[in-house]
Amino acid sequence: MAEEKKDLAVNEKKEIETKKEHTTPLKRYLPATDIVETEQELLLYMDMPGVDKENVTVKLEKNVLQVDGMIETKPYSELKPLYTEYNIGNYTRQFELSNKIDQSKIEASMKDGVLSLVLPKVAEMQPRSIQIN
Amino acid sequence: MFGRFSNAIDALLAVQQSVEAARRNDYFDRSTTYRGSYPYIDLFQKGDDTVLTVELPGFNKEDINIEIKDNLFRISGERKLDYPEVSSVHRVERRNRKFDRTVKLPVRVDSEKVSAEYTNGVLKVVLPRAESDKPKQIEVA
Repeated sequence: MAEEKKDLAVNEKKEIETKKEHTTPLKRYLPATDIVETEQELLLYMDMPGVDKENVTVKLEKNVLQVDGMIETKPYSELKPLYTEYNIGNYTRQFELSNKIDQSKIEASMKDGVLSLVLPKVAEMQPRSIQIN
Repeated sequence: MFGRFSNAIDALLAVQQSVEAARRNDYFDRSTTYRGSYPYIDLFQKGDDTVLTVELPGFNKEDINIEIKDNLFRISGERKLDYPEVSSVHRVERRNRKFDRTVKLPVRVDSEKVSAEYTNGVLKVVLPRAESDKPKQIEVA
């Protein structure tokens, strides 16, 4: 049978729609995220352009990992928009972690608008090869 | 585009996707610039200068190229995502995307004085208006 071809859509910024109302004026976006797993850890990469290292908060509460990135609006204050294709806003996203993750050893780093999270797996979940005698 | 489809839902979805894709690009528009493409660009005005911003998270500075001629602005680049030796991928929303886009600016630009900076994944290009493009005030004698 012939291969079915599907066009890839342009990835647009996803605005978050919630029933809750917010007190901050900016829009909220869902950061594009890649999640990959290696033998020892789970790695998360999140695109948050315009967010400085200082303005990222990563919270962990009852297995829920909450990531917030506040955007720097100062550079835009003196600018008058002429033509806009995208809007800016804060980023927020939540992930529920399984108990496979060693929650005390989570590491985060930020570079060029990309947040990287390293979630190590607990020792007994890591694969082990068993010697045959 | 329409090959053989294994089921009706897929066929309908493909039709919808193609229609949406056709609407997204500006094939039916009269504009010379291609709007439906990546990356998205914002243009601002600051005094006499035009400021252009593009969100390009996770790029190497060296992989972003900018060319300017008169009122044409071309940006091209490629993001290289390097993951460690991966045993499985759970979610892929970010793209390893190569792009090349040209936009027409509202004014002619003095290409010698253009400056660009890349901070926190946002590229900001300041484009000063060319002297020859500025309106001249004529005094009434």
